[in-house]
Amino acid sequence: MNLPKLSKDQIKKLLLSTMGLIFLLYVYFTFFLGPLQKIRDGALAQIADRQQKIDGSKTEMAKAANLERQAKDATARFATLKAFSPEGAPIAWFPPRMKTFFASQQIDRAVARLESNANFKQSELAAWTKYNWLIEMPQADFAALGKAIAELENREPLLSITKLTIHVVPNEPQFQQVGIAATTVIEKR
Amino acid sequence: MALHLNLLHEEILEQRQRKRDPLKIGILVLVSCGTLLFLYYGWNAYQTFEIKAKLNAIDGDWKKLEPQVTQAQKRSAQLTDLINTTRVLDDYIDNRFFWGPFLEKLSRCVPPNAQLTGMEAGVLEDDKGVTITIDGVAAAREPRSAAEDLRQMLLEQLGKSYHDVKVEFKTLEDVEAVANLGGTNVPMARYILSITLNPNAAAKPAATPAPSRTKRRNESS
Repeated sequence: MNLPKLSKDQIKKLLLSTMGLIFLLYVYFTFFLGPLQKIRDGALAQIADRQQKIDGSKTEMAKAANLERQAKDATARFATLKAFSPEGAPIAWFPPRMKTFFASQQIDRAVARLESNANFKQSELAAWTKYNWLIEMPQADFAALGKAIAELENREPLLSITKLTIHVVPNEPQFQQVGIAATTVIEKR
Repeated sequence: MALHLNLLHEEILEQRQRKRDPLKIGILVLVSCGTLLFLYYGWNAYQTFEIKAKLNAIDGDWKKLEPQVTQAQKRSAQLTDLINTTRVLDDYIDNRFFWGPFLEKLSRCVPPNAQLTGMEAGVLEDDKGVTITIDGVAAAREPRSAAEDLRQMLLEQLGKSYHDVKVEFKTLEDVEAVANLGGTNVPMARYILSITLNPNAAAKPAATPAPSRTKRRNESS
């Protein structure tokens, strides 16, 4: 290729033009296209994020609706279990309830005393408390006692008998002295 | 041959030099590049505006949806807690040891020539089983055999409903007193039985009451 010979002045002008071009490109990319690209990338990232959230929320709402259907039985069961503990302090209602219950089973003079109460270690039962009771019956017939205990276990699902002592009443072998240690699970009010 | 004389060669050279002036060419290139770059910038700016508009629309959708999602998440957490609590409570209920069926079985195992005078029973912690201590008396020609029969019966009957049943005598001794059975005086033995069992396969609570032992006890005394 036969390049034309450039004069000194022409070389200067050429260098000046090249510098101008470089400066133009620098300004263009740094102050115009760069920030625009940044804004664009940011907006695209935000769109992706929102879209992900929207998609996730749809799944979340579907899951909640599904869970609501699944939890129908659990909700009803939970309400039933809650209904076993009336309002108020357990010491106020549990001993009379036991007295009435055993009286209805032909066992008189049943006395229930609160021994202790404690919280559960399980996080699921954080809203529930364990109460330990001692139920004493100075005079009970074995048959009536067996029936009463079976009935109590059926009627009070949140009550668990942990200890049972039965001793013959001296001079009255047809009767027994009975001690029942029972634990009840009661919701905190 | 004609002679050609170029008398304007200096002017022509000057004109040519002006035409290829690098500054002029450079300015032309710069302007062209600038125009291209401006157009490219405009196209990018338009696209960015479009993206921004899309972002605004999505933002609007999300703002509408967000409270519902928060509520759904809250409800989900509530329901999960409720399901878990109900499950744990159900486990607690199912893992109880039911004394009604046990007392029924016990009463059915005691023959007319044996009597129970006391019982102490308890559920071991962490569902490790149940221990029962029974004391009583047996009356027969061979009172120790009568007590052994009771032990065998308990082992057999309780083994049908529970796992790992062990029935052992802690004490078995003759006593001096005699019992009157059917008009005959027979010797008596006193025993203490220790029972351990694992209720994992325990029967469900009986709806039927335990049978009366009063009559039997009266018969045996």
